[in-house]
Amino acid sequence: MKTILFAAAAATALALAACGGGEPAKPAEPTPAADATPAAPEPVAAAPTGPAAMPEPTDVAAFMKARHENYEMLGANMKVLQDNFRAETPDMAAATAAAANVKLFADAMGAWFPAGTGPDSGIESEAKANIWTDRATFDAAAVKLQEESAKLAAATDAAAFKAQFPATGGTCKNCHDTFREEKKDQ
Amino acid sequence: MDADKPAASEPGTAPTPSHQKVWDIPTRLFHWSLVICIGLSWWSVENKRMDIHYWSGLVALGLLVFRIYWGFAGPETVRFARFIKGPREVVRYLRRLFRTGYRASFGHNPLGALSVIALLLAVAIQVGLGLFASDTSYVSSGPLSHLVDYEASEDITDLHEDFFNVLMFVIGLHLAAIVFYLAVKRINLVWPMVTGSRSAENAEGPPAGIAPISLLRLCIGIVLAAGAVWLIAR
Repeated sequence: MKTILFAAAAATALALAACGGGEPAKPAEPTPAADATPAAPEPVAAAPTGPAAMPEPTDVAAFMKARHENYEMLGANMKVLQDNFRAETPDMAAATAAAANVKLFADAMGAWFPAGTGPDSGIESEAKANIWTDRATFDAAAVKLQEESAKLAAATDAAAFKAQFPATGGTCKNCHDTFREEKKDQ
Repeated sequence: MDADKPAASEPGTAPTPSHQKVWDIPTRLFHWSLVICIGLSWWSVENKRMDIHYWSGLVALGLLVFRIYWGFAGPETVRFARFIKGPREVVRYLRRLFRTGYRASFGHNPLGALSVIALLLAVAIQVGLGLFASDTSYVSSGPLSHLVDYEASEDITDLHEDFFNVLMFVIGLHLAAIVFYLAVKRINLVWPMVTGSRSAENAEGPPAGIAPISLLRLCIGIVLAAGAVWLIAR
């Protein structure tokens, strides 16, 4: 019986070690000054913001890069929402702020796809050509995100937030499935 | 296929069993379930079904936990302490491989043991990365992705995608070895993983093979595996 218990413990430890294998090395923290209090609170990661202003599409490469970075920021907001969705007691201040940001992205992104900023630009992009050939469907998908994120931003309590989050994430997926091409190293 | 075997044995001596049991049912179920999980994980990503991917990865994690435990509590052919050999044994095995009178190993051979470790390690790393990875639509991100920040999760997602190639390479080696044994040594390694038994002819180890497994130990392993999945997914 002892051997089994040992084996069980070893298996658990190994499994946990395997899980831990996914964690990246922490960036080196600055050496604290000698007089610094050892229990100084860790700096809180800056909360993600709304969309940055897009440049004129005359410089296609700069425009597409800014668009990509805006989608990265949208992703950062979505991560805050998903993390709170999964938390037992969501941080509603963070969640509503992120939801309001997502609404801002949804309102703005319709203007982020002028002609010439797709695959025909020759610049690597995850935007598929059907954004421009099937514009009505694409715009409808963006409107759907506006609607769902507005509902999410309006949620004031945890229950309403948790009830509305899957629908909001679903609109992201709905559009990605049709109009986004997975590319490596983006 | 060997109906004439008992007749060949000398009268008075105990008949040699024609089949040697090498793999117990839990180990075979583990093996084929993992094959299905890896296939399903690949298919679900290709078809944008991240909800399925989330669960196929978690089931693979449960399978891994079980296999690691079984490597201490299972029958002798699957015990790490028994089948993992040092480099000297591996070299000795390689020399023996092409000599006449070669006899198939009882369970994993010393070289195959390295392949088992590489496979388990590769799946563990891939599953471990997946736990922290992000879904681009934030619907089915890894169950532990909330523990890392956005940038880290994005980086881990890239690693998770890249490491799939490493996993495919290790699986490729595994399949190449199977083809080698079948084509060159005329030994079918797949069928014993299905039926649990191989021909006792020219095989090392006890002719009857492994002893029956302990049901209690099996139950502990199932509880451990399910518990690990539950702890992570809840």
